[in-house]
Amino acid sequence: MAGYLKPLLAVLILLGAPWSVAEEAREDPLGSFMWERYRERFLGDTPVRFDSRVGIQAPAFAEDSGQVPIDVDASDFNGRFQRMLLWVELNPIPLVFDYRPLSDGLGRLSINVRLEQSSAVRVAVLSDGVWHVGSTRIEGEGGGCTTPGIAKTEDNWSKDFGRIKARRFGHESGSRVRVKLSHPMDSGLIPSTRPFYVEQVAFVHGDEPVASMTWQASVSENPELALTLKGDAGTAYRFQARDNNGNEFDHVIP
Amino acid sequence: MSSPDGATRSWLVKAVLSVGLALFAGPAPAFDYHLKPVAVAERTWMVQGRREELSEDNGGDIANAAFIATGDGVIVIDTGSTLSYGRALRAAIATVTDQPVRWVINTHHHPDHVFGNQAFEGAEISALPATIAALKRDADSFRTTLYQRLGDAVRGTETALPTRALEAGESRFGDYPLRLFAFSGHSGADLVVLDPATGVLFTGDLVFHHRAPTTPHSPGIGIWREQLRQVRALRFDVLVPGHGPAAKDESPVVETLDYLDWLDRRLTNGAASGATRNEVIQAPLPERFADMALVRYELTRSVSHFYADYEEALLWADPDTTK
Repeated sequence: MAGYLKPLLAVLILLGAPWSVAEEAREDPLGSFMWERYRERFLGDTPVRFDSRVGIQAPAFAEDSGQVPIDVDASDFNGRFQRMLLWVELNPIPLVFDYRPLSDGLGRLSINVRLEQSSAVRVAVLSDGVWHVGSTRIEGEGGGCTTPGIAKTEDNWSKDFGRIKARRFGHESGSRVRVKLSHPMDSGLIPSTRPFYVEQVAFVHGDEPVASMTWQASVSENPELALTLKGDAGTAYRFQARDNNGNEFDHVIP
Repeated sequence: MSSPDGATRSWLVKAVLSVGLALFAGPAPAFDYHLKPVAVAERTWMVQGRREELSEDNGGDIANAAFIATGDGVIVIDTGSTLSYGRALRAAIATVTDQPVRWVINTHHHPDHVFGNQAFEGAEISALPATIAALKRDADSFRTTLYQRLGDAVRGTETALPTRALEAGESRFGDYPLRLFAFSGHSGADLVVLDPATGVLFTGDLVFHHRAPTTPHSPGIGIWREQLRQVRALRFDVLVPGHGPAAKDESPVVETLDYLDWLDRRLTNGAASGATRNEVIQAPLPERFADMALVRYELTRSVSHFYADYEEALLWADPDTTK
């Protein structure tokens, strides 16, 4: 190192300026060429840092590209965040959901998504004016969004259309609620189909939404969601959803 | 370039040499497999595949093939993933016997066991009827997968469907009798072959050894386990599994049963406690599977194949349902 840099570095350290760390936290750990594009589109001008407190877990590869499970763990934020976004960079519909935890939502959730091809997957958590981003990569052979006839696709979805099943499990910080909703979640990308998907989801206590999400058609057919909520087993919740055709769904969480 | 003339000359020499070699040796194989038959009993050999998943590095050499030199011709059991593998297998057989290959048996329809069939023109190819039907159904998508995973090694590979339908019981290949068992636990139609003369049991992929079992077309873990108990009750001296080393005892059957028992418990406990798929996949693996290849990989696949069924039975069976 050139001698004259040493005093400068010492000054920076004394000032407590961890510039190298901050620089690292701004650089995409996956080195994906699509990162900047979606940072701009989804996160705008708000400061961004890659943050290991935003955990994202997925299988290394998609065995069934129509149903790829993704778990997000941002429980270190103790529910103190305003929004959470999940997107799959190389999906034709990249955004999966926009989650607002409101009063009762916590930072752990799991959802099944479609994967068109091998892609980086990002989750961004907005807390105290900064987007905190976690990343992973999933290998896939594709066809999640544009190929009909993925394994286990139900031919006769109308039979069960709108059926909701829900369970609640005790969790260290409240309840883990699991919900399964029978809905085709058509992306409209398959020829001769129109977009037909659930776009609004909320957990409601009394008449108030206490956690809400908007979904895109990158959420799998017959969506499955696990979400942690602050309330314990005694807290009454309802699950409510609405699709883009105006169908409404409503179910008491047991 | 400092010496264009020299470079051109050396290119010319190479071109002339390779044309000359091609004229002598025919087209180069798409992949060089280095297959070595290992004797497992009198007149019986196996060619062991690598305990890996399909990749460009292994050219699809991941499953076992075996053969019996009956005296009246060779019976080949399973033919690998590619035409080049089939040809390499044929050449490897010729290093240990002068007898011609007259029969090919496919234990089941999975791509790592059938796509060398094409190399055995002139031989009669046989399988269970349900295997033939399944191969007709899946062959095109299998070949697409092979091209994606193996690249050039698949060059020239076409589907060669079995023409003779086998059934359970004694079956003759020429005058050579084999005992056939029709199971379904691994792929929907799984042939197990016992050679009563040598005591060799060829299990196909109903039995894996030191390699985690794969489950894409399994009708269910319970059915597979029940059939393994039947296999375990057979009398044999040598067992040739579909993947992994041969054994002189029932240990590969016991190991496969143990894995499937564990997989069943893991999925059962996960579904009953509301665990997510990723939680089931990522939880620690038992130490006793440390020597087993591809456990996490196959667990990831099996969760995709089966977990929804376990959840249907254990998680969603009795919630109050809207509708």
